[in-house]
Amino acid sequence: MDWQGQKCAEMLMQLLLVVSAVAAFLVGYAMADFQLMLLVYAGGVVLTALVTIPNWPFFNRHPLKWLDAAEADRHPRPQVCAATTAGKKKIGKNK
Amino acid sequence: MHSFGHRANAVATFAVTILAAMCFAASFSDNFNSPSPTASVKILNINWFQKESNGNDEVSMTLNISADLSSLFTWNTKQVFVFVAAEYETPQNALNQVSLWDGIIPSKEHAKFLIHTTNKYRFIDQGSNFKGKDFNLTMHWHIMPKTGKMFADKIVMTGYRLPEQYR
Repeated sequence: MDWQGQKCAEMLMQLLLVVSAVAAFLVGYAMADFQLMLLVYAGGVVLTALVTIPNWPFFNRHPLKWLDAAEADRHPRPQVCAATTAGKKKIGKNK
Repeated sequence: MHSFGHRANAVATFAVTILAAMCFAASFSDNFNSPSPTASVKILNINWFQKESNGNDEVSMTLNISADLSSLFTWNTKQVFVFVAAEYETPQNALNQVSLWDGIIPSKEHAKFLIHTTNKYRFIDQGSNFKGKDFNLTMHWHIMPKTGKMFADKIVMTGYRLPEQYR
């Protein structure tokens, strides 16, 4: 998943679970059936899990643009230098 | 939320937290129930009334216990525990409570009942104070929920009196 997808997944999870809970409570209270409330909620939890846990394609609509290999070689990583005053520092470019 | 495991954990944790909130709400909804129970106990017969060898009085009675406790049941009620206790005062104790009968009502359908029985538990005094004793019969009940708070209440029935002489 990309960053946008992760945020979307988290929001979807919270929304779906709360909606399931409210719906389950109202149905159970109206039908005076405690077990029915639990069953509706369990169904809602399963639905939420199916929608938010697997890595569906719609969670990856804003993919990150990673550098390709050739470009990356031209910009080496910054080196941590040893603690000597006369050391030759190798400065890496960050863009 | 960057891996399957993270998201699965988040869903599971949030789901259980919301479930706890739902149980709280279900228990809270019991407060909106305004019950109107009725009860009456008739003493049909005093089977025997003796002083035991250890000096304590004992009486055995046949009772008709009838009640309509169906209004106590809500969607969040698992069962109702009901018991009938004899209450009286003696010189040693300001209040004596002796349970004579109890039962479990599993559902609303069983909540209206008439029971014809001798006392299930022995009615024995701490001492010898029973002759001519006035006492109350109180029906207590505990409404045991499926989740959350248990409510308890009672109906006091007065005007009962034990015989003046042993028999």
